[in-house]
Amino acid sequence: MSEFTPVPTDPGPVRLEGGRPSKGIGARIYGRIARIKGPILWLIVILWSLPTFGLLASSFRSRDAQRASGWWNIFTGLNHTTLDNYRTVLNSKGTASLTDSLLNSFAIAIPATIIPIAMASFAAYAFAWIDFRGRKWLFILTVSLLAIPLQIALIPLLQLFVSGAHLSLPFIHKTITLIPDFNLAGTTTAVWLTHAGFALPFAIFLLHNYISGLPKDLFEAARIDGADHFTIFWRLVLPLSVPVLAAFAIFQFMWTWNDYLVANTMVGSNPDAVPTTIRIANLAGDFGRNEFLLPSAAFVQAFVPILVFFILQRYFVRGLLAGSVKG
Amino acid sequence: MHKVLSTLLTVLVAVGASALIWVAANMVFNQVRHQWRRFTAMAFAAVGFLVGVLLSGNRITKNSQGGFLSWVWLPLLLAVIFAAIGVVLESTSDTRRRQGVGVSSGVLLGVGVGLLVRKQYHPAIDIVALLGWTVGGAALVGAVNLVRKRSLVTGALVGAAVGSILGGWGSAAIGAGSAGGAMVATLIPAVLAGTRLGFTNNPNLQARARIEQRSRGVIFLTPAMLFIFITLIVPTIRTIYLSFLDKSSEAFVAFDNYVNTFSDRVSWDASHWTNMFTSRLFIIGAIVLAIAVVVGVVSKRRTGRAVEIGNPTVGPLLVGFFLVAFAVFTSFRGTIVNNLWWVVTVVFAATAMGLAIAVLADNAKNEKVAKSLIFMPLAISLVGASVIWRFMYVPRDTSTEQTGTLNALWVGLGRLSTGSGLPTIFVGVLVGCILLGLIVYMSRALARSQPTRTIVPGIGFVLLAWFFVRYTGLIGDGVGGFDITASGQVVPRAISFVQESPFNNFWLMVILIWIQTGFAMVILSAAIKAVPGELLEAARVDGGTPSQIFWRITLPQIGTTIGVVVTTLIVLVMKVFDIVKVVTNGNFGTQVLANDMFAQAFQFGNTGRGAALAVILFVSVLPVMYYNIRRMQKGN
Repeated sequence: MSEFTPVPTDPGPVRLEGGRPSKGIGARIYGRIARIKGPILWLIVILWSLPTFGLLASSFRSRDAQRASGWWNIFTGLNHTTLDNYRTVLNSKGTASLTDSLLNSFAIAIPATIIPIAMASFAAYAFAWIDFRGRKWLFILTVSLLAIPLQIALIPLLQLFVSGAHLSLPFIHKTITLIPDFNLAGTTTAVWLTHAGFALPFAIFLLHNYISGLPKDLFEAARIDGADHFTIFWRLVLPLSVPVLAAFAIFQFMWTWNDYLVANTMVGSNPDAVPTTIRIANLAGDFGRNEFLLPSAAFVQAFVPILVFFILQRYFVRGLLAGSVKG
Repeated sequence: MHKVLSTLLTVLVAVGASALIWVAANMVFNQVRHQWRRFTAMAFAAVGFLVGVLLSGNRITKNSQGGFLSWVWLPLLLAVIFAAIGVVLESTSDTRRRQGVGVSSGVLLGVGVGLLVRKQYHPAIDIVALLGWTVGGAALVGAVNLVRKRSLVTGALVGAAVGSILGGWGSAAIGAGSAGGAMVATLIPAVLAGTRLGFTNNPNLQARARIEQRSRGVIFLTPAMLFIFITLIVPTIRTIYLSFLDKSSEAFVAFDNYVNTFSDRVSWDASHWTNMFTSRLFIIGAIVLAIAVVVGVVSKRRTGRAVEIGNPTVGPLLVGFFLVAFAVFTSFRGTIVNNLWWVVTVVFAATAMGLAIAVLADNAKNEKVAKSLIFMPLAISLVGASVIWRFMYVPRDTSTEQTGTLNALWVGLGRLSTGSGLPTIFVGVLVGCILLGLIVYMSRALARSQPTRTIVPGIGFVLLAWFFVRYTGLIGDGVGGFDITASGQVVPRAISFVQESPFNNFWLMVILIWIQTGFAMVILSAAIKAVPGELLEAARVDGGTPSQIFWRITLPQIGTTIGVVVTTLIVLVMKVFDIVKVVTNGNFGTQVLANDMFAQAFQFGNTGRGAALAVILFVSVLPVMYYNIRRMQKGN
């Protein structure tokens, strides 16, 4: 249980810019702890980075080296490092190739990000600035759908993609096809459609928070100048909402890129449409043979989100803070 | 490359077409206020086009088989005719004339479409059913309109039109009838609808503004609402429905799926629960709890409160609680127990670690770099994280070198402990020095009559002392990964972290803790920075010690944020799937609800059971989500 103890021992975030409080045992102990704060922090940081770093080191070691010794031996044999693993993984013709699945991941993540943004921004604008009856209730209903864990929709959605939707009418014993079977089972389209649907309540909620906070005078002025809702939305709201759109886009992109459950349900059986996460999980499954390629494959998969993370960290954090309610 | 292009094309077409429809709808409604006639024409054309699509798209009308052209001619024709009807209707406001236009266009369209119906679709009209449905529909909608204080006649007409479609086409045998039947079945609804159309009148400017306002709401909302309806609402209802059916969704089994889930040994196994009382975890936990009680009594005498945030009782209380909880979770087994174990452990550990790091990093040097590094695992997928940790945990055959980090450390420790070289002595001396330092610290605190300050170092001392006596071999043979064979030889022994039940569950949880600590840290760090400086300053002026300031001011100030983190994590951990699926696939006693649901529904083909598990998951996160949403709404 040792990892729980730092909390009670910690003295707290007292800022000392106004000079250290004078003598007293508390101050002295605090002074001592304040000095070891830095080392403790960096010790934790090193511990936290160790697993990732170890895998990164392994990814540059040959199969034999990985089998013979642990990743820390990379320091004693830096001249033995190799890029072969990455070459194998990125070669489109290998058994452990990741290139197709990378394309699939993009084919899922990009539409799954763009489409909900468009639809949610329309809806968020309507909820915020268009008066109609039942607006409040519809909005509450939409937001409460955030609560739905996506597991609960998976079975019927898969059935929908496999065979369409049919309604058996009572009394007249006829079946109406509401949505025909578009042959979507096992395609990336099924995955991004699902993601788009699941993302909507959260997207509407997030965008509505922002759009409803825009100054009211702006809209009144535009109305007086004769702008209709469409113009206001297009010329005024969208440009002003770029920060929140970016936050949502990053959040959603990472979410769909890293998703495993939805993809596994919708295309798990079709090797031509699997995204990187499934590909890597399968690589991990066939023990032994390709295990030495796992580190490099995992890093290729993580490269995109880590890049997004480091470049757009500010937006990412914002989206994450807001995304804490996503079901 | 081909794949990229085709995907790109699909997406572009889908997005482009939807956007076009949406923008076009907006353009049409832009005309409402000042160009009513143009709007009527466009709106009628759109309706006509839709009717045409319905007819030729379903191949009901003649010459609709074949390519795009043979499909599209009817929608286009109907669009033009409808637009013309709209314009004529708009040109007069005399009720009788409008009636004439409505009825005659109904007759015209009914006859025209009736002639076009293909032979395979001629319905064998059942007069009783047709009349029944028509009258029934009229009565129903008319009554609804009466209740809503609207016109009875128009409601009845709409109801009759819909009813006659259901009666004429729905309840008839399609393809067994004659051309006359088809004519009747199209003419009646068309005339009824046309008559209803005649009852409308041209709205004045005010009414038009209202129409524009309302329709705009509909246009902006429809895409999202339709999507949510199809992908969320209907599937949720259907899952609940499926959970009451058997594995292939054929027979109604009431609550059997739920009963089976809870009575199954896989989900709930209490057969070994008596082991709990003999487990070391339980005994040590009970001792620590007893210490907590003693400390609580002392604390009560000194400050008037036994338990208080940040007072010395809390530490042993928490440690004791978790030791006992772990004893419980390792004795009761099963999917549900595992899920609870995950929630308790990951939520607490991630929040506590996140808070600790947020506090440590606050105003530290290179704060941003440190926080980024802690935060980074959050950007990696759960699958990627599972792979990373697999390489931490991997056990190798003991005859070779350990390549997994943790096993290498463990076996290395065993080698140190059982060895007798210089490093062994060095580590022993180091631990001994730390122990001495702790003794000095504690005795100094005691000498200054501050016994509460010895609690936390005391716990550390006990743990470290235990390690020391084991390490030096005062009790037992040493500590670490080794075995002693019958011949007295010392051989290394690696831990199979992911296979040794029940603690493999804990090692899986570590992965999620590793990821989610960053999340807790970022949010709590933001909250700590938002605590008003004057508050801290005032507390300091009043002579509060730094630890008092933290426990009494900072912590209560960020209480709500801690609530956010905890509730978010509860929901997230309840649904944990990826890690278990990738690392063990639920084997070795690590099954959790979400993975069980996936396996039942999509691998074993037991739809009913899978749906029931999904509903259980849904119900169990519902209260937390409800609380979360209420809080979010209050926040706005």
